[in-house]
Amino acid sequence: MVHLGGTPVLRGVNLEVSCGERVALLGPSGAGKTTLLRVINGVIVPRSGSVEVQDTNLRKLDQGALRQLRSRIGFVHQDHSLVANLRVLHNVVAGRLGQRSFWSSLRDIVRTSKADLLEVHRILERVGIGDKLYQRTDSLSGGQQQRVALARALFQQPKMLLADEPVASVDPTRSRDLLNLMTELAAEEGWTLVVSIHDLELAREFFPRVVGLRNGEVYFDGPAEDLTPQMVTELYSMDSTSSTGGEQDG
Amino acid sequence: MSDRLAQVEALRKSRPRSRLIRWSAMLAVVCSVLVWLTSDISLADMFSTKRLGHLDRFITNDMLPAKLRGDAFTWGGLGDWCGEQFQLNGARAMLATLCISVLAIVLAAVAGAMLGAFGARNLMSAHPFLPHATVGHGDCSHWLDRVAQFTRLICILLRAVPEYIWAYLLLAMLGTSAWPAVLALAIHNAGILGRLAGETIENLPSQPLRALSMAGGTRRDVAVVGVFPMALGRYLLYFFYRFETCVREATVLGMLGVVSLGYYVIEARAHGQYSTMLFLIFLGGLLVMLADIVSDVARRWLQKGI
Amino acid sequence: MAKPLPLAPRLPTRRVRILTGIFLAAVIAFFGLGLSLGELIPRDSGFQLVLEFFSASVQPAFTYQNSEGLPSDISPFLFKVGRGLWTTLTYAVAAMSLSLIGGMVLGLFASASFWERRHPAWATFRWTVRVLIAAMRSVHELLLALVFLATLGITPGAAVLAIAIPYSGTLAKVFSEMLDESPREAADALSYLGAKPLQVFLIGRFPRALPDIAAYSFYRLECAVRSSAVMGFFGFTTIGLYLRQSFENLHYREVWTYLYALIVVVLILEVWSAHLRRRFVA
Repeated sequence: MVHLGGTPVLRGVNLEVSCGERVALLGPSGAGKTTLLRVINGVIVPRSGSVEVQDTNLRKLDQGALRQLRSRIGFVHQDHSLVANLRVLHNVVAGRLGQRSFWSSLRDIVRTSKADLLEVHRILERVGIGDKLYQRTDSLSGGQQQRVALARALFQQPKMLLADEPVASVDPTRSRDLLNLMTELAAEEGWTLVVSIHDLELAREFFPRVVGLRNGEVYFDGPAEDLTPQMVTELYSMDSTSSTGGEQDG
Repeated sequence: MSDRLAQVEALRKSRPRSRLIRWSAMLAVVCSVLVWLTSDISLADMFSTKRLGHLDRFITNDMLPAKLRGDAFTWGGLGDWCGEQFQLNGARAMLATLCISVLAIVLAAVAGAMLGAFGARNLMSAHPFLPHATVGHGDCSHWLDRVAQFTRLICILLRAVPEYIWAYLLLAMLGTSAWPAVLALAIHNAGILGRLAGETIENLPSQPLRALSMAGGTRRDVAVVGVFPMALGRYLLYFFYRFETCVREATVLGMLGVVSLGYYVIEARAHGQYSTMLFLIFLGGLLVMLADIVSDVARRWLQKGI
Repeated sequence: MAKPLPLAPRLPTRRVRILTGIFLAAVIAFFGLGLSLGELIPRDSGFQLVLEFFSASVQPAFTYQNSEGLPSDISPFLFKVGRGLWTTLTYAVAAMSLSLIGGMVLGLFASASFWERRHPAWATFRWTVRVLIAAMRSVHELLLALVFLATLGITPGAAVLAIAIPYSGTLAKVFSEMLDESPREAADALSYLGAKPLQVFLIGRFPRALPDIAAYSFYRLECAVRSSAVMGFFGFTTIGLYLRQSFENLHYREVWTYLYALIVVVLILEVWSAHLRRRFVA
């Protein structure tokens, strides 16, 4: 059970995601999607229940070990996750902050090592923006910035990628490309992928498994094909009796 | 591999960068280092044995009031002495300083608002707040642009000269009263507030003001009904921010002979009463901290919106 | 068609109350100081001085206004102006270089964002630093200079340190506010990747505040030039010393030369910083 500011946001969520699986989290805003992702990442610790990631119980970890674990989980946010006035290179290199000591991470900013430089360039080419290596991040479009965020995740070499509404701020035609890229990369790298998304069509298209959240509870869990139109209407219907302050969560 | 290296190198060479920023940063570092290496400024000299001896005598002897020196020192005695000093000149000095700064900042705010209005480029155009494309450039616009430019120049001139120098010049002209201090502070701060007011007006959202203008409002109408209420909150923030610096400056203007805290400080120093001098400086610090708190509280209150 | 006006032409009462309060305070201050408007008009000798002084403004001196009695080997007047300006600038730069270091260190410790994700006990330390900053800011540089003169005697270091102490406090306060106001999302994103608090702060948060910090530092340099000029009134060889001497000798044209020199320096710094600011945004 997860509480934010006293009101429960997640209740009785029982979810098991196996390695290499691709899962979409569906649900109206305030259903607890973001919170669930943060719980998996260990940013939020549930008041009751247990979270196990890669066979370790998050509750038993201290701050250092938790950071260690997080450094192996990529996280792509909706937007603003990049330091706007740094160059693309430095934003990508920041992906390994959790794996590097303070001083070596400072050196990465001042003078990136040749090996890292080449790797970042290769990664940027992979996500289709190799020529932006030295551009200021805020000079890029929203879709390009999300590619930088993906590049950061690639550089981080995680076992798992969490993404919170990665295409919400990207225009519709580009969002399909971006999700295509994301699922391709997940397949190549063997990532487990958990993505919250509000667009039903995109979820169906790219994710074999869909988890529908409603008012902090799992409403649906299964293959995308099994989601009937009636269930979708129900999922998104505004039910006044159970809308318990879930809005606090973005 | 080497192919990729060449590509990266080419990207690095063509990366966007500002020469101005780089040169400014380098200049700043070089100048700072050179100043310490080549000029006669040296912190080591401050703590040479001769000066330390001086300091030692000051701390053991001059710093304390005459009747409390040596074995006669007691904390109670020091407390009594502070009370005496506070009643003698301290309270009066603090009050005068406060009055000078309050009067000065209000005068500065009025003048600054005027300067700001006349210096704002969007207000001082032929058709205020209307998009230029639909208007065309008449001679009228040209003339008003000049006014705005001139006003901004005036602002720079007013704030380029420090308060202390303004006060020094005004003192010779007006004779001894609080006016030179008040005016000096008002002049300098009018320059600063004028610039800030101008920037505030230029950054106002233009739609509501355009609506007023399109509804047939004259420039004065728009300024009074639109610009003034919209810019007031921001301007008051700046007002309180400058008020605090004004109090700080007011403490020292007295050193020129005007009755503020600085006057009593200088007097005490002239009579070799270093203990009184230190106590008065301490009082000045208290006053500034108080103004700091008032200004902080007022600004936080204002930020909630007025 | 014109849209309905979104503004009410009547001012809300709260605004009126604030403005009335401020105005009343000014009136009380006016009577408290025992001022009269008559004193604003210069009397005979003062009036003469005003006339002479302002008529000199259109013809600033380029040579000594009165070379009688000056030694023949004295350096040209403009040389003297240049030297005064140079000393003023060196004091200002030296003071700023100290204040930047002090302001940065104290500013980091005083900012809430630096201590985020750390043990709450650090809050005590942070508040101690904030009180220290307030204390440093509260004593004016001229008063500090006076104290240093009394304790250590006259030395350029005294002027520099007197400027540097309150300036460090001011920079620290403003820096800490800028750091706390900088957008936090990117920093959060880094902590999601397992970055340590110091990494999160220095790479995620600090760069966003840096343009503001640089711009403000530039503005303070301008202030430091003014402060260092005024230090001349206490015997340090900055431009204020020469200005005062010329004024006391009634060489008003020379005074204007010094004033113009100071204004030009401030103007140059201002244009420079305006250009820098534009680069930061792009």
